[in-house]
Amino acid sequence: MSKLEYVYVTYIETSAEKLWQALTDPDFTERYWFGHRVSSEWKPGTRYSFAKQGANSIEGEVIAADPPKRLVYSWNSCSPSDRQEGTSKVTFDLEPRGKVVKLTVIHDELNEAGVTFRNISGGWPMVIASLKSLLETGRGLAIDVPSSAKEAADAQT
Amino acid sequence: MRKPEFVYVTYIETTPEKLWEALTDPDFTERYWFGMRLRTDWKAGSTFEMVRGDGSVSDAGKVVECDPPRRLAYTFVNLSDKYKDDVPALATFTIEPFGRLVKLTLTHEGFAQGSKFFKGISGGWPAILSNLKSLLETGRTLDIPYAAFKAED
Repeated sequence: MSKLEYVYVTYIETSAEKLWQALTDPDFTERYWFGHRVSSEWKPGTRYSFAKQGANSIEGEVIAADPPKRLVYSWNSCSPSDRQEGTSKVTFDLEPRGKVVKLTVIHDELNEAGVTFRNISGGWPMVIASLKSLLETGRGLAIDVPSSAKEAADAQT
Repeated sequence: MRKPEFVYVTYIETTPEKLWEALTDPDFTERYWFGMRLRTDWKAGSTFEMVRGDGSVSDAGKVVECDPPRRLAYTFVNLSDKYKDDVPALATFTIEPFGRLVKLTLTHEGFAQGSKFFKGISGGWPAILSNLKSLLETGRTLDIPYAAFKAED
């Protein structure tokens, strides 16, 4: 398969259960995912979405939910710039390693056109860095730039 | 076939100066780099070595660029037999202020085709840089098992 794949690995001082909660609980995602709240029943085959101020930013279907080990969902961006690139897939693997958890994010089945790939390659390091800080220090990172970065990215297309 | 390249980006609540110190000061690296001390005078062209706790050298190469607190580049390769077919590959750290944070970008490139060393560093950097971020933000390093640092064959 020649489609693009993005992989990001980090280690977080937390438990797999807390990390699972951070990935699936809207009150949590709002704090590190640039204010976006996630909602879903987290059952395979059900829908999920990320939304900010009532507008969906990302939506898709839960493919696998095996707490606190593995979460897989399809990914459709609602932004005009990469909406036409169709559906990709995100997998979170949570592996306890002693007192820390190894988190692997695999975003694959990405369109060769590369707009989504470019956006998510910029986005995941911010989201995961903020998630790690939130779980380790109790505070997410003060990253306000994504909206302007996103506008800049949109302006290029 | 594209040559292998490793890119890792993270955001750290710190200053460029502190991050620079963390990347270049052996007392700092020893704390988050699994006990490794960097030995060099940080002048372009100088030798660069990673020294284990017992004094043995694990990796060696040369300093390519040193522009504090913005850009640091050096080559290195692991000296063990396992990587005897590998050549020193170029690691470049770019430090950019990002509001109250610092954006750190690491690019590691120039690996031999089919490089085993590439697999090794791909497993190592996420552990090292996660630990570095934790140390700068919380004052403590993570208790990452050393096995995480090794390549998964």
